[in-house]
Amino acid sequence: MVGGVLARVAGLVIAVAAIGCLALAPLIGEALFANVWGVEPLTYIGAALLVVGLAALALSYAVPQALHRRNGNGKAQRDMDDWSRVTQQYFELFDHDLGRPLRRILGKERELRAFLRAAEHGNSQEVAELLDEIEMQAPNFRLMMSNIRVLIQLEAPDASYAPQPVEVSAVVQRIVDRYMPIASEANKGITWWAEPPEFGIVYSDSAAIEHIVTNLVDNAIRFADSQVEVRLSRDDARFFVQVWDDGPGVAARYRRHIFDRGWTPAVARREEKTSSGLGLYIAHTLSVHYGGDLTIEKTTTSDSDDQTSFVLSLPLKEGVGADAANL
Amino acid sequence: MTESKFQRNILIVDDEWNSTIVRSVRNRLDEEGWRTRVIVPFDFVVTGDDFEAEALYAIEEEAPDGVVLDVRFGESKDDRFKGLAILQKIVHRHPQLPVLMFTQYVQGPDRETAVRGTLKWDAQVDFIDKLASPEEVVMRLRRMIGITPDNIRLGSKITMDTANQVVYAHTESGTAPVTEIQGIRFEILQELATTWYRSPGELVPFSRLMRYMEGEDPRASIRVRIREIKVAIGKAMGIRFGAGDLIINIRDRGYRLVPPD
Repeated sequence: MVGGVLARVAGLVIAVAAIGCLALAPLIGEALFANVWGVEPLTYIGAALLVVGLAALALSYAVPQALHRRNGNGKAQRDMDDWSRVTQQYFELFDHDLGRPLRRILGKERELRAFLRAAEHGNSQEVAELLDEIEMQAPNFRLMMSNIRVLIQLEAPDASYAPQPVEVSAVVQRIVDRYMPIASEANKGITWWAEPPEFGIVYSDSAAIEHIVTNLVDNAIRFADSQVEVRLSRDDARFFVQVWDDGPGVAARYRRHIFDRGWTPAVARREEKTSSGLGLYIAHTLSVHYGGDLTIEKTTTSDSDDQTSFVLSLPLKEGVGADAANL
Repeated sequence: MTESKFQRNILIVDDEWNSTIVRSVRNRLDEEGWRTRVIVPFDFVVTGDDFEAEALYAIEEEAPDGVVLDVRFGESKDDRFKGLAILQKIVHRHPQLPVLMFTQYVQGPDRETAVRGTLKWDAQVDFIDKLASPEEVVMRLRRMIGITPDNIRLGSKITMDTANQVVYAHTESGTAPVTEIQGIRFEILQELATTWYRSPGELVPFSRLMRYMEGEDPRASIRVRIREIKVAIGKAMGIRFGAGDLIINIRDRGYRLVPPD
């Protein structure tokens, strides 16, 4: 601030001196310098001083404004970072605190189930179904909390990542483990395989892959008639996770909106939404964030049949093409 | 349920050792035929350090096959992530010992800190959510410990005795050996059962069944063997298995075992 005022005063003084020089040059210039230089220099000195003075004046205004803008942006950035960090901290607290009562409920439910089994009342179909209903809410809750976590992370201004070695077949295996009881309960089957069977490692983000595929499997189990398949494959530069189910699939007219934020077919039909419509949006956003894509493909040739599958594709290795196939 | 000649020992280290969620996991591990030992504090007031000392001593003394370890050991600042400090010491002293972190912090910055700060990506350490079903916990431990038991119980009605190469069918009238399943049929069923035991949803591709194939049409030979296995077990159980029962063909890429309930 003080520097700006000093520069402004100095600039003004120099500019006034320059105007003085220019005004006096025709009158005293030759008399003053004739014996020194061959050419009358006062005009040139005046012009040079005028340029310097005006430049000093201009800088005295421009520099503080630029500094102010830069500091302002920095502050906004810092505010954003702080906001993101605080949001994440709040979420961690809520995540833990919300998990605690749910753990207690699940624990009691499992204990009750064991008690009924031991007391030979376990054959009560109605009670077993009620307990199953409680148990089946746990994966929904886990996915919902995971969705919120990822949304917060994606909103963060510094949402970058460093690729880690990931055994992607183990990630798929874990997801299938989690959904196997849910599928069985609904009289549905879930199968996964890798091509090639010894799939090896990729360089990516394990949590992101798990999150995307969990959303896809969760959807597939919900809409399958009887079978869900998860196929892991790769080419020279990318790996693919295809999630297919034998349900009616996504109608052609809905496919272009399926990854829109908050969109579900219920929105188009003007019905009450039964889900948030965030799962596929988050999965798609994450896929793109990690240099890949999530697409929906029609898997049957019949025009009347809308059977579809979702295909996640991600780079085998960040920034590397064909070499990655030899990992 | 599975049984083994050598019983597996699992050490559980969790400050909520008496909670219903830990008890349900422990019950499921007991059903699995594994012996569980829980670190129980001696005093009313205990800190994460007490659990750490007790856990490291138990690992030295009892040499468990796996450890189930919590992350948070109370609300005090020192104990909030005590499990990660215990994990570091276990990994340092016993790098081959499988440790399953049973925690709310399966994702997020704390897990990242643990993985990046203390663990190699291929360390014998895995994270599982405290909300995971006991079946998921068992499944994860099965894979981490990596040994298939001598007797594999396939659902409630079939048992494979891999040591003596006998398949038993359990019916209301009792248990009977399925004598037709021997030799190559037993080996095929064992391949499918071993995969199912570690990863119930995993398909066994034809490439892994290659060594059991015969004749001019190798896949047809496998199909015949599979049909023979299904007929033999079905006969012993008094039922007829269809295309979608017991062993199913997935898109002609391989087979998956689906044991009956």
